[in-house]
Amino acid sequence: MSQAVSSNVKGASIEIKHLGKTFGNVKAVNDVSLTINAGEFVALLGPSGSGKSTVLMSIAGFERPSEGQILIGGQDCTRLPPNKRNIGMVFQHYTLFPHLSVGDNVAFPLKMRGVAKAERRRQAEAALEVVRLGGYGDRTPNQLSGGQQQRVALARAIVYNPQVLLMDEPLSALDKNLREEMQIEIKRLHAELGFTVVFVTHDQGEALTMADRIAILKAGRLQQVSQARELYERPSNLFAASFIGEMNMLPVRWDGVNAVFSDQDQIRLPDTASIQPVRPGSAILAIRPERLSIAAPGTEGSWKATVRDVVYAGAGSLLITHLADGSEVRLRVASAGQAPIRPGQEIGIKVPPEAALLYPADASQ
Amino acid sequence: MNPRAIILNAYVYAVLIFILLPILVILPMAFSETTYLTFPPEGMTLRWFEDFFGNSRWMAATWFSVKIAALTAITTAVIGTMATYALVRGAKAMGTLFQAFLIGPIVVPHIALAVALYLFFQNTGLSGTVFGYVAAHSIIAMPFTVFTVAAALSSVDPALEDAAMSCGANRFNAFRLVTLPIILPNVISGALFAFIISFDEPVIAFFLAGIRDKTLPRMMFDDIEQNLTPIIPAIAVMLTLLSIVVLLAAGLLKYVANRNAARVEQS
Amino acid sequence: MKPGFFEADGRRMSRGAILLLMAPFFALIFFAFIYPLGSLLSLSVLEPSPTLGNYERVLENPLYATVLFRTLRIALLVSLLSLALSLPVAILMANSRGPKAVFLTACVLLPFWSSVLVRTAAWAILLQRNGLVNDFLQGIGITSEPLRLLYTQGAVVIAMTHVLMPFMVLPIYGALRNIPSDYNRASAICGAGPLRTFWEVTLPLAMPGIIGGFILVFLTALGYFITPSLLGSPQEMMIATLISQQMRENLDWPFAAALVGVLTLLVTIITIAFSKVFRFERMLGASA
Repeated sequence: MSQAVSSNVKGASIEIKHLGKTFGNVKAVNDVSLTINAGEFVALLGPSGSGKSTVLMSIAGFERPSEGQILIGGQDCTRLPPNKRNIGMVFQHYTLFPHLSVGDNVAFPLKMRGVAKAERRRQAEAALEVVRLGGYGDRTPNQLSGGQQQRVALARAIVYNPQVLLMDEPLSALDKNLREEMQIEIKRLHAELGFTVVFVTHDQGEALTMADRIAILKAGRLQQVSQARELYERPSNLFAASFIGEMNMLPVRWDGVNAVFSDQDQIRLPDTASIQPVRPGSAILAIRPERLSIAAPGTEGSWKATVRDVVYAGAGSLLITHLADGSEVRLRVASAGQAPIRPGQEIGIKVPPEAALLYPADASQ
Repeated sequence: MNPRAIILNAYVYAVLIFILLPILVILPMAFSETTYLTFPPEGMTLRWFEDFFGNSRWMAATWFSVKIAALTAITTAVIGTMATYALVRGAKAMGTLFQAFLIGPIVVPHIALAVALYLFFQNTGLSGTVFGYVAAHSIIAMPFTVFTVAAALSSVDPALEDAAMSCGANRFNAFRLVTLPIILPNVISGALFAFIISFDEPVIAFFLAGIRDKTLPRMMFDDIEQNLTPIIPAIAVMLTLLSIVVLLAAGLLKYVANRNAARVEQS
Repeated sequence: MKPGFFEADGRRMSRGAILLLMAPFFALIFFAFIYPLGSLLSLSVLEPSPTLGNYERVLENPLYATVLFRTLRIALLVSLLSLALSLPVAILMANSRGPKAVFLTACVLLPFWSSVLVRTAAWAILLQRNGLVNDFLQGIGITSEPLRLLYTQGAVVIAMTHVLMPFMVLPIYGALRNIPSDYNRASAICGAGPLRTFWEVTLPLAMPGIIGGFILVFLTALGYFITPSLLGSPQEMMIATLISQQMRENLDWPFAAALVGVLTLLVTIITIAFSKVFRFERMLGASA
């Protein structure tokens, strides 16, 4: 099999220290510090303008940071040009060189490193086999489909066994099926080759399924860096809570023990509900729609709600309801075995206290 | 066709006759046996072509013009591509100044430029020199080259060079191995137009000519002004052929460039 | 300047590299344009002594003022004629596809890229006493004697229109081609007939191209030298011929410089005034 697979390189660690980047008077990246372990797969997730791409471009060397330091494998790379960093990179729109054949595209990094022609050809073909495009070397990029082109881009990025692979929304141009296939492909390569991956995406599902850890950015600042499960179940602030998945957010008054709704309903919360200390006063109660369940109206401990809309979506159904004070609560319940529910109907909502999270009602979050 | 379209077409074809008539009239005269220019031409001879090629003054002027035009083409291609690249890939802030300087020499009437250069070159001894002509022709041909190259360059995704650099190429190699091959058809096509512009340029040539070193357009000007011999139609035939060749070449290059652009689009 | 054409994101090339790449261009422009024109213009106000006297002469001497106004009149006439001839051609070009479009484009482009001297010579041949035009006029009985057509203002206007017309066709064609065909359909759905659509939608949208082409032809005509020198009458010269005469025959360089100054000033003012609709890259791009 190819050298790329058998050599089993280990990745390099990446340390980002107090990274800052200013464009004009806009702080695109603001004091971001992040340590990525060797061989780790980290996703940078955030809405557009969150600075995630700028962080990636700084690691790649295409942006020169205004502040801070970037170390790759312990070596300070902050001022190193991109071509000296030995990084593999996959871009959003494939960026295959249109005037070169697929094989020459993949061999390009080897050519830059002075590898002899025959050896280049051999290694390029091996890399193409790794992405399961063996025998495609003589074609031109425009003869390939989008998914194939992105595989070629991947082959080009890994052909010289870089310790770090950067990906800038590499799957955003592909349609859904291809995207899932490529996600698996990239995970497989990561497992086989052991390089460190930094992956920029705005697709939370992609981040959750692929990454060891996910770094959430907003307006140039790092919000949370956690594993997928923790990020989903215990988002560290309101932004992370609302950005990942669906979340009901209810304004409440918090007295230190109970969260009180405006219509005097209340729920007693365990200590674990607040991720950071919440002072008594107004607060936000957050709860995932799939953690809620339906009960008969008036059931002890349930909230009284009126169904506004029922959206049937196959395996599950979405119930949009409102409480007595008008605040909206959404539920995701299994469709099967459910008694038919109609808009206007009164129901009870059962809330498991351990599923509830409490955040300070601070607008700056 | 509806009546409106018929009127439009009729009008346009009448205009086209006006556009083409002079050229269609002058070309056959190159083969006329008479020494005076009349239409329709009488007889059939290649005598005027022989006169042209046999005359050392015409030949010297032609070669002089070819030399100037070739150097102008190279100069504008190299300098224009360098500046355009810097502008498109880096120096947005300089865009306004650059454009002002770029179009200045073609907005200012050629007569003004020619007189200014006449004065300057008289004082510096550059009149009639290849260097002087190439400098003068380069600035008036430059916009054609720059806009052709800029159009190509702005359609090349800058990320391609990023990709090359992430593959280990330095900036120069990223340009040489990736961007340049993609824009090359446009660079060549720009250079071809610069060649034609220089080769046909009559006004600056009129003022900068020394006693001996005359360009072809300057020789033609003198001939037309003095006696208008049938050598002019003979030259017209050859210049028209040259223009056709250049236009066809440019069309071909445009086709190649479009194909490249389509590839860029897809990849 | 059209935004986006010289698109740049300013982040990846060092200032030094940019300056280095631009330096030859700016050096060339300075050497062959800024400095020579600057020193010529300074001559007009500094010689024989610091004075505006050279400019006063241009405007006060009726002979020279006449030349100036004649030049403006001819340039305007040429521009109007070009517009009248070009607009329908551009419209048909923009609405044609396939071989017809290629043919029309070739008919416009071939003269554009063929020698001005050749075309001027052709007009000299056409308009001479025993030329084709006189033959034709006599043939259809408009005149019994050959008319004196050459070395007249009429000859200059016709030949200049012929030479400069492509500068009008191409920008208009470019503007028309950039109008999405959806607009015509939208206008039709709104109830406008083809003529109405042309008048209310197409023409306003093509206006930048029309004005641009008009200005381009006008400016070029103002300083035109070759055609008026070869086909015009010495008694009715235009400003470029006057400049040449003052420079080369009278050797009155400061006065010639003042004439250049007037011409350059005029051209610069018009260019700046219309800079919004002036999209050179499109005009030149269309020609290539």
